[in-house]
This record gives sequence, C-alpha cells and structure tokens, in this order.
Amino acid sequence: MAGPSSTPQLDQLPPEMLDFTLLKTAGALAPRLGRFALPGRKPILTPGFLSNTSRGVVPHISQDNFRRNPAFNGVYVALEDFVEKFPQKTPPIFEYDVPETLRRFIALPKDSPIILGARRSPPIPSPVANTNTEVGLLTSVGFRSISSEYYAAAVRKLQPDIVVGLADIPFGQESVGLKRKDKMSDRTETWTRDIIAKRNTLDSEDPKFSIFAPILPIERDLQSWYLDHLVDDMLDKIQGIAIYDAYIMEDLPDELHPFPRLSFHNPSSPHDLLRQINLGIDLFTIPFINTATDSGIALNFTFPSPQKVFDASSTRQSLGIDMWHASLATDVTPLSENCPCDACTKHHKAYIQHLLSAKEMLGWVLIQMHNHAVLTSFFTTIRASISAGTFEEDIKAFEAYYEPQLPEKTGQGPRLRGYQFKSESHAEKGKKNPKAFRKLGEEEVRALQEEAARRKEKKDVVDDEAMVGLVGMDGVDGNVAVNALPGEGVDGLEMADDTPEKI
Amino acid sequence: MAPVHIPSALSFELLGKCSVTKARAATLHLPHGTVPLPIFMPVATQASLKGLTPEQLEETGCKLCLNNTYHLGLKPGQATLDAVGGAHKFQSWPHNILTDSGGFQMVSLLKLAKITEEGVRFLSPHDGSPMLLTPEHSIALQNSIGSDIIMQLDDVLVTTSPDLARMKEAMERSVRWLDRCIQAHKYPERQNLFCIIQGGLDLELRRQCTAEMVARDTPGIAIGGLSGGEAKDAYCKVVDTCTGLLPEKKPRYVMGVGYPEDLVVSVALGADMFDCVWPTRTARFGNAITAHGVLNLRNAMYSTDFGPIEEGCTCSCCRSVEDGGLGITRAYIYHVTAKETAGAHLLTMHNVQYQLNLMKSIREAILEDRYPKFLKEFFGKLYDAKSQYPEWAVTALKGVGVDLME
Ligand SMILES: [Zn+2]
Ligand SMILES: [Zn+2]
Repeated sequence: MAGPSSTPQLDQLPPEMLDFTLLKTAGALAPRLGRFALPGRKPILTPGFLSNTSRGVVPHISQDNFRRNPAFNGVYVALEDFVEKFPQKTPPIFEYDVPETLRRFIALPKDSPIILGARRSPPIPSPVANTNTEVGLLTSVGFRSISSEYYAAAVRKLQPDIVVGLADIPFGQESVGLKRKDKMSDRTETWTRDIIAKRNTLDSEDPKFSIFAPILPIERDLQSWYLDHLVDDMLDKIQGIAIYDAYIMEDLPDELHPFPRLSFHNPSSPHDLLRQINLGIDLFTIPFINTATDSGIALNFTFPSPQKVFDASSTRQSLGIDMWHASLATDVTPLSENCPCDACTKHHKAYIQHLLSAKEMLGWVLIQMHNHAVLTSFFTTIRASISAGTFEEDIKAFEAYYEPQLPEKTGQGPRLRGYQFKSESHAEKGKKNPKAFRKLGEEEVRALQEEAARRKEKKDVVDDEAMVGLVGMDGVDGNVAVNALPGEGVDGLEMADDTPEKI
Repeated sequence: MAPVHIPSALSFELLGKCSVTKARAATLHLPHGTVPLPIFMPVATQASLKGLTPEQLEETGCKLCLNNTYHLGLKPGQATLDAVGGAHKFQSWPHNILTDSGGFQMVSLLKLAKITEEGVRFLSPHDGSPMLLTPEHSIALQNSIGSDIIMQLDDVLVTTSPDLARMKEAMERSVRWLDRCIQAHKYPERQNLFCIIQGGLDLELRRQCTAEMVARDTPGIAIGGLSGGEAKDAYCKVVDTCTGLLPEKKPRYVMGVGYPEDLVVSVALGADMFDCVWPTRTARFGNAITAHGVLNLRNAMYSTDFGPIEEGCTCSCCRSVEDGGLGITRAYIYHVTAKETAGAHLLTMHNVQYQLNLMKSIREAILEDRYPKFLKEFFGKLYDAKSQYPEWAVTALKGVGVDLME
C-alpha cells in the first residue's frame, strides 16, 4: 500500500498482493479517489464497481462478449454458485487441475480481477442458521452450510485474486438480539483468523490471495473486540475490508482507513450509490444493474445531471427507460444519446423493444451491455467530480433532476434462473434432522400454478422457438427463493416444448 | 399460363462438380455479399439468433441467415419494418437474409388455418379475429422485410398425407400462387424470388410440379413440403428426382433440413442450400453437435469433463486460451446450461459453427473431387460400426455411386 498512510508491513507483501493507492482523500466519511491494482490485472480506479456474476458469468453476457466490451473488468463471484454437489460429492470445479482454477473454469480473461465471496450479492436469506463453525448457503439445489475450514480450502484451490472473509450475518432477519450480535462478532473474528491462517500455510511459490475482512452491520461497541483485534493482530494480514452497512463507517477505526472498502450494502438506486461514495466507499457490486436488465429497463442517467435543476416543482426525469413500452416500437434512436456501448452504437430502441416483446434472449443481452456502460460512465464522471471538488453540489443537482428510484418493472423477465429457482427435495432426502425450510405461501403456490397454466396455453399459439426457456417471472421477486414446482426438477426447464430429437 | 421472365438479383457461379455423386460446389452472389454453396443457413426466427449479437453470428462465418415472415409480420409488423427500412437495418445485419413465405408457419403453428384459392385463412393469435394471408400479402411483407431471397407462398401439406387428390390440388395451387407472387413482387432487381416445388412423396406429382416451376424461371428453386416426418428413403427419392430435372445453373434449396447426416446425403443428391432450427434450438437444451454425434452436456458425466466441447473445433468457445479462444470446457457448459442464458449462447455459437464448418469441408471435398471419400469418413466418425449406419443413407448414397459399406 503506497497511500499517504501506508503501513510498513504491507510493503513486504509478496508481489501477488493487492496494491491500493489513495489518490485523494479528505479524511474520514468523505469521498475519496483511489487506484486498485493487482499484478497482471487491469487496475480499477475507485470509486468503481465489479460486475456481479451468476454461476461465473455476468448474466446474459457470454465470455466473448465480456472480452469485447470495455464496460467489463473486475468480477465478483460467489462460492455458493459452485458447490451444490457438496457434501455428497466433490464439487466438479475442485477436480479441475489447472492453475487459477476459478478463472479458467469460468473462462474469465486473465487480466480481470476476481473477488470471491461465500454468498451471492445480495444473498438470498438461508433458513439454515449459521453455527459456530458453519455458514448457511443457498445453492441451485437447496440450502447447504459450509465450514470455515472448507471455505479456506476452497479459496486455496480456486485461487481468486481476493477473498472476502466469512461473516456471520443473519441475512433476512429483521432484528437481531444483543446476544446474537456478540456471537456475530466472535464468529467473524474466528473465521477471519482461519482464512489468514490458511494463507500462511501456502508454500512460497503458491500464488497468494488477498483478504478482505468483513466489517459487520452492527454498532461499533458490539463488534469492538473484533475490530480491536483486527487492528492489533491482523492489520498486516488483510488487504481490504468488506462493508455491509455503509453507515457504520463513521465508527471505523482510523487504522482501517487506508484499506480499500468493498460495499455489500445493497444500493437501491444511483442516489444510494452516491451517498455511499460520499461516505468513502471505494468499490461496489451493483445488484440493481441486473434487476433493471431483467426487467427490461435501460438505465438512462448521467452524472452530473445534464442540467442543474433546483426547482423542486419541475418534473423529475426517469432513471431508466422501460423497453417494454409499445411506443418505442418505431423509435430508431439509441437507448441513450452518446452512450458508447454496442447496444447504442449498433442498435436502436425499436429493435430492443421488439426483442423483449418477442422474448428473444438478445434483448436482455443488449440491455445488460448498455446498463453496464451507463454505470461505467457514471463512475468515470463521479471520479472527475470528486477530483474537481464539486461532488457535493453535483449530487444535489442529480437528486433534484432525477426521480429517487428506478422505474417499476412492468414486463416479463427472462426465465427464472438457477439461483432463483431451487429444489429442496434433492438435498435433504434421508437426513435425520432436516433443518427447517421456508414453506411456500399459498399465494406463491397459486402464482406459480397460474404461470404454469399460462405457459401451457402459450404453447399452442406461439412458436416454441420463442418461448422455450423464457417464462415470465411474474410474482417472483429476484430476492425471494422459491421451490420448484412439483414435477419439475432442479432445472425446471420446459423440456416438453422441444421437438423430439431424432439423432 | 405463359412463363414470365423475371429479372434476377443473384448470380450463380458453378465451381465444381463431384465426378461420382450429384454434389456441386458453387458461389452465390447475392445483394448483401457472396456466399459459398453448399450452405447451411441458421434460423433467426424473430430477427435474432437465440441470444447472439450480429457480430457473434458473423464470427461463426455466417453470411446468410433466415428470418420468418410470419413472425416478423406479427412483430414488429409491416409498418415498423417500413419505417425502419427493412430487416437488415432493423437487426443491424449487414449480410444476406432469406425469408420464408409465412404459409408453412401458419399451417404448422395454427391449428385453425384453412386454405382456399385466395390464400390461407387463420385466426389472429393476438385477438382471434379472422385474417387472410394471400400470395400478394406474403410478397408485400417480404418486400417490406427486404430479404435477399424471398419465397413464394405455397400450399403446404404434410408429405405423409394419404389424400392424393388434395396433394395434387395443393401442388397445382402452389403453381398458380407462384404466378401471383411473381406479379406481386415489387423489387425483382434486388430481391430473389424462389419457387417451391410441392407434390408430397408422389414422384409423378413432383415431376409435373418441377416442370411447371422451372418454366417460370425464378432465380432459385426450392424443394418444399419435406422434413415433416416422412421416411428418409422417401425424402431422398424426392430430392433425387427433383434435382435430376432442375437446371444446373440455379441454386437448389431444400427447406427445413439440418441434421448433419441429412446435409451430407442431400448434397450428394444435388442440393445446395439448407436451413433448420434444430442446431440452435437443441443448443438451449445443452446439446452439442460434434463429428461423433450429439452430446447432451446436461448429463452428469460431463460435470467433470474439462475438455473442449469438441476437440479440434475452431469456434471461439472451443479454442484454447493459448489459441486466443475462450477455453470453455464441457464441465462449464454443464455448470451453466439451463441456468444462465449465456450457457445457451455459448453452445449456440458452437453448434452454428459446427454446421458451417461441415458445409465448408463438404465444399472443399467437392472442389478437390474427393466427396465420396469425405462421405465415408463422415459416417466412419459418426458411428462406431458400419452396422449402425442408417439404411436410408446407405441406399441413397448407393444410388449416386457411393457404397458406404465397401
Ligand atoms: Zn448504451
Ligand atoms: Zn466449438
């Protein structure tokens, strides 16, 4: 770390390790500029973002398109996307005997940084409670839990550039009791020590991964032991921190300030990103990009806003265009003027509107490319604004100019995908003490049944070419896990639609 | 009716003929560039090929793909196509497009379609209101689409229909409809109208139809009504009979054919152009086409298979990282298929490229006059033993001088 307050120990790290340089900072709780560099990888200027992946791929973006598109660089990958066979079988990826296993397996270009965590961002709450030694996960076949030891071994095998330490966070729980918070802090400390210990066992020629220590989304006093130990014993062992609640940053010990901050505090909107950046967050995974894409919403905002409107009475601009809108059917303008992405330079709204309404997968591909390009420009201009010292006022203008939230979803999304769709039957058969699973409510069951019935009807009138694999997500929120319908397997595919194969 | 000479917007350059079989290699010059024959054309039903961008499709080597008139007529509709300036601009595809007439889709997708002399009557899938697709309307739609090759509206009957009288009626009506299509065609100088030979599996009907269609002198000729579940022997006889009566200097298109075996045999029988949704449709179910047969990569046995989809394949998925490819493994396809749309995109790229490479190697073999040897190698790879070779293929190839069993 070569920042203004660099710690001597960090300079002695092996060359594989992360180098984070703070280029501009105005003390605690202030926006800052940095450069996040890993040897052999493209640097990320901060504030910046990582692309969120699902099963190792940015949703809708095949690996060749990832390479073609400058909006993609670093990725966040969740271990839970790779370990569904565990513990009955060794997850296949662990049998892949090549260096940089994870990178090779998901066919990521060699210069893209990979950050690995246990859970997806955002995680679907797992009803399997964490224990002293294990963390609950959700894989595409059901809930699992893995031990801290298993996690460390997986990281060693997969060789990501950076690993986010396990955190004991009861996701989805509205209120957490004091005792539970104590436990969170204790367990997280133990697990952070575990991963550090594991890295110490690596041979000198083994590539070293960097470690981001989680900072819990609870009050400073309740995790003070952990934070103190982090500062006293582990400062030279960690390379960054993972923040689960951006508002606790004011409680962050000073010693942690030079470290890059990766936020898992799920931003609900661009405004929310700006607020977090204003508190000093450096790196994000941005789940709303994907949600917008799946909803057919092409993001459409710039920073600073095109004109400075402080008049509260004027109508605010929408942050995105709902591409399902029939009025766009003959609109041959790009999604956003001046956007450099392929969707905007090579295609127009009319085509993308058609693709969505025809349920052609390419619609989501193009919107996803565009949405990433919009966020890339957003961050570029944010950095310029911080650099120019106009960030505060630019935020105000942005908030006055744009609506506070992204537009509501109106159209159908693509077919439910693996992580949204799981079956519990596979996992727990024959287990003596099955853990409590969330049961589907009547509402949800009815919605799913209606969906299935609608699917059947459609089969008769619409070419299955268009329909196969693309059933609507109505009534199913991306954040809520649902069971597979009875009779549908793990993959829940509409296989019956396919013509019989002759070969 | 007297034959009308219609202008052509293509030129057919015959480059070589197999000295044993009826296979030909040619170059077809079309308004949006040159394509090699024989050719396989992937099907981008609704102006998009299963999640691939135009650049990705181009990268597979594709220079001619299909759009379906029926689908584009519904969505985005003729008014939008006119406003945007045709399907090339609509989907940003700089190469050639072929469109069907819409009739086949209507008859096969809509149970309530009814055929009269006027056209195909059907109920709108949107609101159930009665609609009519006439030859004139089909051509007008295809004129709006602006495809490089357009197809006549024909009266399609399943080949397996036992009703010979109806079959004869359909064949004769198709001829009459061709005349109406020729009359209605607004842009013969930039769009090539192909006739479609009908007549079911009755070779005499096919001969009569071929004579009538050839007399109309369209720029290209299609053999239609096949690939509807008929016996492969019967299919081969129809193709063989028709190509035997066709002029040498025109492209011959057999509609709806795409299994690799069907392609290599049909080329031997003298056909040049093929299309089929199968390679792209099957990709979405995890099926990879390879020289050794179709592999279903959803099978758990592939979950730890870290080899490429097909060894030696030059598609960007299969090429190794060292070779500038993505180095996608079978295990990774297993990991994402049916779970992420990108899994389907990857396999679609591979499958399309497989089909195009197959046609490319067929063409090279014809040009070097070693097609019989190519056929033997092809079947040798596809099957473990000669005893497994499909009888229809053995018989059909024997008919054009190649004995696979020798
Ligand atoms: Zn764009
Ligand atoms: Zn391949």
